Amino acid sequence: MGRRGLSANAARPPIDRRATRSGYVLPRVSTGLSRLLAYAIFLLGWQALSTFVFPPFILPSPVLVAQEMVSIVESGQFLTHFLATIGRLFVGFAIAFVLGAAIGIAMGRSAYWREFFSDYIMLTLTTPGLVFALICAMFFGLSPLGPVVAIILTAMPHVTINVYEGVRAIPRDLLDMAHVYEVSRPARVRNVLVPAIAPYLFTAARYGFAIAWKITALTELFGSASGVGFQIRTEFLLFSMRGVLAWALFLVIFAIVMERFVLMRMERRFFRWRRQAFA
Amino acid sequence: MQATLETSRVPAAWIRIVHLLTTPRAARLTAPILIIVTWQLVAPLIGSTLLPMPIDVLEEFIDLAIEGTVWSAFAISFVRLGIGLALAVVIGVVVGLLLGLSPRAEAFAHDFLVIGLTFPYLIWGIIVSMWFGFGDAGPILVVFIAAVPYVIVNMAEGVRDAPRDLIDMARSYDAPRLRVIRQVVVPSLSPFFFAALRYGLANGWKGLVLAEVFAATSGAGWEIAGMRDIGNASGVVAYALYFAFFSILVERLVFGRLSDWVFRWRPRRPEAARAVNA
Repeated sequence: MGRRGLSANAARPPIDRRATRSGYVLPRVSTGLSRLLAYAIFLLGWQALSTFVFPPFILPSPVLVAQEMVSIVESGQFLTHFLATIGRLFVGFAIAFVLGAAIGIAMGRSAYWREFFSDYIMLTLTTPGLVFALICAMFFGLSPLGPVVAIILTAMPHVTINVYEGVRAIPRDLLDMAHVYEVSRPARVRNVLVPAIAPYLFTAARYGFAIAWKITALTELFGSASGVGFQIRTEFLLFSMRGVLAWALFLVIFAIVMERFVLMRMERRFFRWRRQAFA
Repeated sequence: MQATLETSRVPAAWIRIVHLLTTPRAARLTAPILIIVTWQLVAPLIGSTLLPMPIDVLEEFIDLAIEGTVWSAFAISFVRLGIGLALAVVIGVVVGLLLGLSPRAEAFAHDFLVIGLTFPYLIWGIIVSMWFGFGDAGPILVVFIAAVPYVIVNMAEGVRDAPRDLIDMARSYDAPRLRVIRQVVVPSLSPFFFAALRYGLANGWKGLVLAEVFAATSGAGWEIAGMRDIGNASGVVAYALYFAFFSILVERLVFGRLSDWVFRWRPRRPEAARAVNA
């Protein structure tokens, strides 16, 4: 795969103003009323459909799902299974991020490593997560290693590709100048490489995380005796739409909070100096 | 004198081989070979029937091809993918154009697009299986759900990216409306349409195979999950290789060659819809 093929899959650096605020590029219009209206219509529509059209086992009302969520928390199940999932998620994600960043830097610096990993990257980006989840669930059985390995396999290419793009975008003249002035290797890493790829590292973290939590739940569903994915499977086998939606919502809410509030906040705080410098 | 020439010739050949091995071109070969060799070495150490040997996987891979089940399974999946994607494109293009033109409509839909882009396909697969049971309807619906936000977001972005100055110029020269649409709007939108197709296809595919696990009794996703259910480890890996094979096919042919050819006139590719899903 050539350079174009790779960059077609990579995210833009987060320094693009529009891209910083949402995962994809859309200017956010502050028409708060429209947004509020959307939520109102959605919730009312859901409630109406579930009370008048569908029986609760097909579409439970939002109130029922909320009650189910409360009872899951009260029963203590939430804490056990949620913590199990989060633990696997963070261990897997941390390894994927470090490995992915290292590979991304190697790929950006040398044509050899770029070619070495390019097929692997393309394959893991395009192959459905289901395939990795099944293989890991099969090889590792019920051990927590399954989800962790699945996260590493699937989240790493997203980290790699973004870091790779960052390394490729380092201004050539900066590198040349560092060379001419015989800047030492550690100083070059600290003063040229790290500041240049820092915004890409944040994007990499966001994209890697977006994959990681989904693949965690998926692998738990096929091969685990605890965790949110396992609970979703249990509720599915009990044919409880309420339970499936309640557990799914826990996960989706957690992910959205992590992506939008934690990771983006960190990113904004980290780059405050940049914004001021360019304002 | 003769002796030194002889001895220096051997390392020269050796150096040439090492040189050949360290070229980027060789790296693409080294990577898969390294994987297979490690696999072959590690698999007996673990000594589990759950980790199949490469040779078993190859055998299964060939068996599947000869039996022909794999082709029919993928054919069924591709038909579902095609139908779902067609629906997503028709509806997504209309909604996307609307959202691109109206900031208020965009604000209305924005948060739901974000949720649509992040909601796991696993959950959709389970939901449609409870709604529609086993069949074609559930998987097709999941393809639609997975693909449509990508189509909408890319088309909306395309409208916003339309060259204002060119449109203004055409107006000031009194160019007929149809001609402006045909010669300015459509060419500027078409790469975004292509990006919409690409992301729609990739994500529709991922959603589809998951939906097939829960809401179908045929198709590629169902077959590979079935391999796991009967404990056929080499079957799962062989099927995974078919998934990889079809990925390469689509990626290289459709999105490499075709899009390069279609957009050979265009210096930059559009890069909208950056959300990812498993």
